[in-house]
Amino acid sequence: MKSAPPNPRWAPWVFIAPFLVLFATFTLWPLVQSLLLAFSQTFGPKRSAFVGFDNFAFLLRDPLFWQALRNTLVYTAGSVFIQLPIALMLALLLNRPGLRGRAMFRLIFFAPSLVGLVFVAMVFALLFQSRTGLVNAGLHSLFSGWDPEFAWLDQHVMGSLIVASVWLYAGFNMIYFLAALQNVSRELLEAAELDGAGPWSRFRHIVLPEIQPVAGFVVLLSVIGSFQAFELPYVLLNNSAGPDNRGLTIVMYLYQTGFLTGDLGYASAIGWILGLILAGAALLQIRSTRREET
Amino acid sequence: MRRFALIPVYAALVFFAALTLVPLVWMATSALKDQQDFFTSFFLPRGDGFLGIAWDRITLVNFTRLFRDFPIGRALFNSFFFATVTSSGATLACAMGGYALAKYRFKARRTLAILVLGALIIPAPLLIAPSYQLLWQLGFLNSYSGLILPAIAPAFGVFLFRQSMLNSVPAELLESARIDGAGEFRIFFLIVIPLVRPMIGAFLLITFLGAWNNFIGPQIILQQPEVFPLSVTINNLRGIYSTDYGLIMSGTLISVAPVMCLFLLLQKEFISGLTSGAVKG
Amino acid sequence: MSRARPYDFLSLGAWMILGGALVSSAVFLIWRVPPATGREFWVFSPPNVEAYAAASASWNAAHPAPQDQMRVHLIQYQALERRLMAAFTADAPVADLVETESQAMARTFSAPLSDVGFVDLTDRLRSEGLFETINRPSFSLWTSRGRTFGLPHDVHPCLLGYRADIVEAAGIDVSQIETWDDFRRVLGPLIKDLDGDGRPDRYLLNFWENNFDMIEALMLQAGAQFFDEAGEPHLATELNARTLASLVSWISGPDRFCADAREFTAGGDRMRIEGTVLASILPDWLAGTWKNYIPALGGKIKLIKLPAWTPGGRRTTVAGGTCMGITKAAPDFERAWAMAKRLYLSPDVAEAHFRRTCIISPVKTFWQLPVYHESDPFFSGQKIGELYTSEAPNVPLRFSSPFFGLVRERMMAILVTLKAGAVASQHFDVESQLPTARKLLAEAQADIAERVARNVLYHEQP
Repeated sequence: MKSAPPNPRWAPWVFIAPFLVLFATFTLWPLVQSLLLAFSQTFGPKRSAFVGFDNFAFLLRDPLFWQALRNTLVYTAGSVFIQLPIALMLALLLNRPGLRGRAMFRLIFFAPSLVGLVFVAMVFALLFQSRTGLVNAGLHSLFSGWDPEFAWLDQHVMGSLIVASVWLYAGFNMIYFLAALQNVSRELLEAAELDGAGPWSRFRHIVLPEIQPVAGFVVLLSVIGSFQAFELPYVLLNNSAGPDNRGLTIVMYLYQTGFLTGDLGYASAIGWILGLILAGAALLQIRSTRREET
Repeated sequence: MRRFALIPVYAALVFFAALTLVPLVWMATSALKDQQDFFTSFFLPRGDGFLGIAWDRITLVNFTRLFRDFPIGRALFNSFFFATVTSSGATLACAMGGYALAKYRFKARRTLAILVLGALIIPAPLLIAPSYQLLWQLGFLNSYSGLILPAIAPAFGVFLFRQSMLNSVPAELLESARIDGAGEFRIFFLIVIPLVRPMIGAFLLITFLGAWNNFIGPQIILQQPEVFPLSVTINNLRGIYSTDYGLIMSGTLISVAPVMCLFLLLQKEFISGLTSGAVKG
Repeated sequence: MSRARPYDFLSLGAWMILGGALVSSAVFLIWRVPPATGREFWVFSPPNVEAYAAASASWNAAHPAPQDQMRVHLIQYQALERRLMAAFTADAPVADLVETESQAMARTFSAPLSDVGFVDLTDRLRSEGLFETINRPSFSLWTSRGRTFGLPHDVHPCLLGYRADIVEAAGIDVSQIETWDDFRRVLGPLIKDLDGDGRPDRYLLNFWENNFDMIEALMLQAGAQFFDEAGEPHLATELNARTLASLVSWISGPDRFCADAREFTAGGDRMRIEGTVLASILPDWLAGTWKNYIPALGGKIKLIKLPAWTPGGRRTTVAGGTCMGITKAAPDFERAWAMAKRLYLSPDVAEAHFRRTCIISPVKTFWQLPVYHESDPFFSGQKIGELYTSEAPNVPLRFSSPFFGLVRERMMAILVTLKAGAVASQHFDVESQLPTARKLLAEAQADIAERVARNVLYHEQP
């Protein structure tokens, strides 16, 4: 028997080169630059002035930043505690044995991910209108006590955003959960059912432990994604932060300062704070999975 | 017995499916109505026709206006170009990168793998400002190079492909191919790619969708209306003709149709691909 | 190895994407956009494009050389704002002439004075006597640190537009209205619950705490001056506190008389048509929008001078504003300047513009034009040109600042907070709101002043 010739030394480098070159140019280099920018004030890429720690110092007492952080936290909580459970529930429903039309339902639930944000914004802006929008008109005709002027997109911006995000993203996350549920043994579930275990106890003791790793992964992705929320609120609020900045998110604030006022420096400082928050979230997640493993 | 037990499940599924579909059906029907009927009927215009619908008032005028008065054809092409090139390039680069990290032993491998993992938590928005500066320095502002090149190297993709190669490409297969004298590229394209076929389909779809619906990136980088993709063109239409709902809805319908078809073609691979990559990770 | 078939490697969908990438790249290289010739002119308002059509055609006939042709491009406003910033900060392509609104102009003012991307027109305006010919308040929005960068397009004085059919049917005489208090008292009986569900379905005025255009307009009418000529903010005044405190009872509590009928929305238009709101603060451009897009209101609307805050006070205010700027990228300034004057300083364009949009020219001598003295059936036969031009000299001054957008949002936020406090305590009178209003304004002043102060580039001396 011949032994395999060793692979040439250049081989891995050639395969990874395209990624590495582009990654270094468009991720690592800007990352270093953003650190430098964070210490200056600019008017676009052409004009800048070094300001030391002034950006960070001002950031810490900038009421708009704190408002953006608060809004972003609310949105993230909505994603994790409302949107993901709904996604999981849809996946559990679809995973029932003997169900017909599974592919059709799966397609329907996934469809919102295909339509794009501009559409989502249009539709929800119309649905949420006070007095004339379908949501208020419908609720008012069903329950006469409902205030037809209930101001979804004005007073309850974050609530409206979360509703829209559930519609938009639940189907996508459902796919992750569906994939995870493939690992759950049908026999085990049926045996448990015969033993008289109720649906909740079956979920708690058989399903949940199996999907735990995926669930952790999806939660982390959701947290990272929600912390970077920008396009959905931006288009839903008609290219603005909404009344009283109630829909201002961290990234929207970054975008506004960087591209509408031209201060790429302050924008970078905001970005670094966001990066630190996300790194913290990721560490927490890694810690908690480690602890469960040991 | 079993069959009846499923009734509440069906009820719940139908309820959620209806909630999901209402906005979509509303879009499709709005595109087929004129402005007058948009306000007076929620779905198709009401009248005396079959099923109480005024079939004669259904119109394609929104579509003809869209193609006649606005550069929608060009925008559709731009989107198609942007999405196909980005997704093909990103899939190729990430598959190659993932392959190198999963199947070769070399010195920098561990360092690179950690780099890719670490890059997963770099928030993209942090890079917006310095990337803009970089693209300006490189002369890539107002060109598709400035949009496509940075999108070809997502660390996320390398991570997914690495996982999927670890799971589904047996080392013995590569060994025996090398014994048969196959070259490295031959092995990659003829043996490895077919083994990760689902992951390729899934990643193509994800990156295609991302590029097709991306609207902030093109909005920041592209500066001439002739090169705008569909997403930007439609958002601009919405700004100018804010109350011409039929027009905007038909534009949206045009932008949704291609991705809908693509999803139907790739949906099987999409699900098994995600299973092989993200899930066992 | 057996012969491999294509679908062993990739699925149909994947092959389609790859094939599409190759084909479309090839097409992309061939299908080039022909380079534009002539002088580009960006406009964000569709009716303005129509108003300029005749003038630009006659210009192009008179100047046949390709590089002298005027090319009018309609661009969505936020896109225009962003492209302008990209051009001024990063040399992206830009038009020679740009018609822009106050917010986009103010953003370009955050640059060092020497880096503002528009040409400084101050000396030219002075040498050609345009500061005298054109209504003076119209310049303030386009002026930063003492230099003027735009040729004014309009005045945008405000009047009160009301549903004459409903008001007259109730036998109410609006000539007794001089102040906002009169307005509330005289029209108050019209607030009614029409469908018997316990909530009124008819309100007097279209105003709401999220409508910062109108918050700004009302504060300006009362005498607010958000920034001085040097760009320093002056928010924490007793006058501003009082104005905001008064607005609380307009939108909440037992004496509420306002409702939210947003412009440019289907819902808002329906409320106007159904008479859910009877009156609106109506700048000339908005009068034009109604005339063009809400034909159902035809013959039902009349205009009167805006009620004042105090007896003898200002009977108008100002909302919105547009100017023409010439970019530094324009290769031939004189040519661009001639085009700008052709469009903004010609009676034929002023006439076409007024007919199309109801917007009056800021050129004072044009106010004698017959078109401003014609009666308009949409406005129940009133001569609205006369009504608007007569109030044009009285509009308040607004000095521009890159921080003005923030101020508008702060004012709105304060009103929102005051309203919430009033609803919680059930005290809706002015005096109860004043302490909070003063405190919030002082905070806003401190915050904005710090933002102004820490912007080193804005203060850089040329």
